[in-house]
Amino acid sequence: MEFMGYERPDGTVGIRNKILIISVDECCEGIAKNIAKGFDDVILLTNYYTCMLGGNEETLNQMIEVGKNPNVAGCLVIAMGCGSILPELVADPIKEIGKKVFCMTSIKNGGTRKTIEQGKEYIKELIEYAETFNRKKVSIDKLIVGVKCGGSDTSSGIASNPSVGNMADKIVDLGGTVIGGELMELLGCEDELIKRTKNDKVSEKIVSLIKNEEIRWSVDGLEIETMSIGNSVGGLTTLEEKSMGALHKMGSKTIMDVLQVNKEFVDKPIEPGFYLSETTMLCGGSAVNFAAFGAQVIVWTTGGAGFNNSLIPVIRVSGNEDLINDDIDIDASGIMKGVEGVSSVGDKIVKKVIDVANGVHTNIEGYGESSMTLYQKDQRVEKLLNLKCIK
Amino acid sequence: MKKFILMGEKDIVATALDSMLKGDMAIVLSNDNEEMYSIKVNENIPFGNKIALMDIKKGENIIKYDSVVGECTKDILKGKLVHVHNVRSLRVDIPQSFKNEIIKEMKIEVEV
Repeated sequence: MEFMGYERPDGTVGIRNKILIISVDECCEGIAKNIAKGFDDVILLTNYYTCMLGGNEETLNQMIEVGKNPNVAGCLVIAMGCGSILPELVADPIKEIGKKVFCMTSIKNGGTRKTIEQGKEYIKELIEYAETFNRKKVSIDKLIVGVKCGGSDTSSGIASNPSVGNMADKIVDLGGTVIGGELMELLGCEDELIKRTKNDKVSEKIVSLIKNEEIRWSVDGLEIETMSIGNSVGGLTTLEEKSMGALHKMGSKTIMDVLQVNKEFVDKPIEPGFYLSETTMLCGGSAVNFAAFGAQVIVWTTGGAGFNNSLIPVIRVSGNEDLINDDIDIDASGIMKGVEGVSSVGDKIVKKVIDVANGVHTNIEGYGESSMTLYQKDQRVEKLLNLKCIK
Repeated sequence: MKKFILMGEKDIVATALDSMLKGDMAIVLSNDNEEMYSIKVNENIPFGNKIALMDIKKGENIIKYDSVVGECTKDILKGKLVHVHNVRSLRVDIPQSFKNEIIKEMKIEVEV
């Protein structure tokens, strides 16, 4: 199986040809927005946390890895210039893999107006550079698909998640890569997951990284919502039940590894197959996690919500007949009615993934996107709870 | 006839594919959409929620997808709704205030 993509200098292959403006601190986001105004395919990634580096290395690592994502043709990295996250820290590693990257601070560039003016010049150059890439035929082993759920209801566990799991198995059989995440929503599924590993190291990772999530989210005396009231009104009683439904979208293939994102490193899939990951259960941030792991497209199951991302297209799958509207790319409600099988819907999703990889737009691509949320683990909490990554 | 679906062979609960009213007779389907047997509904059960397929005692595990998905906190009679008012998570439970909100929103009758 093949698809038509944009081959980047490092050998990865994009399915979109975007210019990314990375604002390394929130103070220069206004400048970034003004620079982007009037251009197509120029998108923004902003660090809203802080302009400080210490304690925010996970965010720094993700900004770098999103810049390296193959859907990005080239980058402009900007900073106000008074913080400690120097734009070069983000720009240099992206340059190293052969991408065209410009970099500037507002202070050194003569202030806001001049920076916007200069930025627009850079963008024009980046667009010219992006236009030198043409789609060419490449093997599906260059395709990485993220799978995620959101706005889950009963139909997710019965219809959309099983059909996405079916798609995941088929993509892996064809030679592609699929990444699942949301470890918090795999609580209670450890035994099932371990059955799918080939070595103890991966099994250990599964157990300890899920345990880390459990510890992070269950602090005695705090009323933390780990599944929404809407989930429960829809029929989900416990997190384990939600997990078992969510597990269905992970298919049944061997789990190659659990990809981690943290203050020290961001893993990448090293060969095709199915991977778990630390991709957050929070949708906005999950798309950025997936992008950092190198995914070019996300398949997202839902009741009827319209989650979308500007860098990596999102294919929405729903089995809830009452909530399906024209945001939904794949209708899995036939499974709920007993008139269509899981495998048949799985085939439709595989076809849609390849079509979208070839350049076909999803139903709401370009209409409305969630912000590129840079979700990170709070290093103070990690230290207090003594949580560690696994090397 | 209204339908419930069973997600695993060992399950002791089934999921409503229609909104059920107390007194309804409904069919329980297997995961492959085969009709298995009928059951009398003893409490209103909204679409997507679960019915007890047998009497379940306090302390027993709730089995769905052939897996333990929680623990029974109050005896549940066959035909009744199985939800946050009579089941808790064995891992990270929903805080009581959220449970109260869910019970209120769904108008679940809770015996004191």
